[in-house]
Amino acid sequence: MQDRPTAPELLESVAEYLVGELRPDVPREQRFMVLVAANVCAVVAREIRAGESPDREDLALFSELLGEETADVHAGAAELSRRLRAGELDDRIDELAPRLEGHVRRKLEIARPGYDEP
Amino acid sequence: MEELAEGVRAVLAEDGEVTLTPIPGGASRETWLVEGEGRRWVLRRDPEGSVSLVPIAEEFALIERAREAGVPVPEPIAVEPAGGRFGSAGMLMSFVAGTSVAPRILRKPEFEEARNRLTVQLAESLAGIHAVDPSGLDGVLPASADDPALAQIEEWERQLDEIGEPLPAVELGLRWLRTHAPEPAEPHLVHGDFRLGNFIVDEHGLAAVIDWELAHLGDPVEDIGWLCIRSWRFGNDDRPVAGIGHLEELIAAYEGAGGDPVDRERVRYWEAFGNVKWAVICARQAHDHLAGVRRSHELASLGRRVCEPEWDMLQLIV
Repeated sequence: MQDRPTAPELLESVAEYLVGELRPDVPREQRFMVLVAANVCAVVAREIRAGESPDREDLALFSELLGEETADVHAGAAELSRRLRAGELDDRIDELAPRLEGHVRRKLEIARPGYDEP
Repeated sequence: MEELAEGVRAVLAEDGEVTLTPIPGGASRETWLVEGEGRRWVLRRDPEGSVSLVPIAEEFALIERAREAGVPVPEPIAVEPAGGRFGSAGMLMSFVAGTSVAPRILRKPEFEEARNRLTVQLAESLAGIHAVDPSGLDGVLPASADDPALAQIEEWERQLDEIGEPLPAVELGLRWLRTHAPEPAEPHLVHGDFRLGNFIVDEHGLAAVIDWELAHLGDPVEDIGWLCIRSWRFGNDDRPVAGIGHLEELIAAYEGAGGDPVDRERVRYWEAFGNVKWAVICARQAHDHLAGVRRSHELASLGRRVCEPEWDMLQLIV
């Protein structure tokens, strides 16, 4: 067990410093890069907080779409990608598109929360 | 660096000293501000040891053609296709005052007049680009494919394969594009990266269209779809044209300026394509960081933005 702050809390402290304190002191043309750095910290903090459940849900989705168990989520994504590219799933595009929304949503929740809301 | 300044001075035949300052931005080519006595130019060149999609001599020739067609572009001044005095392949252009930074164009009060005029100006520029006679581009651009949509799909599949990361939503998008491709268009000059960020804007509106390195012969509506993808609206999501205007306004001005009639379904197709292309570019930029081609936390962070165009693409095809 590690002491507080937790990993996400530490990252958030860095993000707050970057945006709140450092950014105003940096030359104007470099401020965007400071914001990017702060955003990277926020993304990683959300990923740590989310734990393993997004990968578990993706693994279940990919296995279901493939109709077979896959070793891990990366292997599932690779096999699904391979079959799509080979045209083996062309007659299921309309069915697969809304299912893959779930996978993309799980990425957005970490990288850009709210992007999928109208 | 001193050698480069010396080379630029020689090309410009400037007697006095010239100084070079890097201009940030520009994904694959370096851009330098060149300052002599009371005068300014811009140098664009390949990073040493790298080759771009459209060789610099071709980009230079395209800018000349676009200029002849009345499209606002920087004045092309000199090109060194094999490196020579610029160290790597590069070209010199006139300096165009204004900004290309999207949030400034969209939100700063001094660009209000520019915002009011930009949609029509973009439409007129597009019509001008698309009116360039493709038969005069022999030797400048590769010949047009029989099916421009298929050729583009293959190009971005190839780029995705070079990255080697599995992106099932992008693969699904590529298959949708293959199975829904429109009737092949007559080949036109396509800018290929016509979007906010590649427009230099001053207080009166569009001053120059820059970054021609993705230009090719293809379906002119490709430029309209790409212009309209959500990523180039920079938060103004209800305004498809560069976060400023509406599609109908753009199309009316485009057709009024001599552009071919625009089929809305074809725009939707190319907007879906644009999202797939942007997803691949994001993944590629992150890959360049990971592979050590160019280490940068900004490029790294783009890898996690692949999901944004994936989402927008799915909304267009579901």
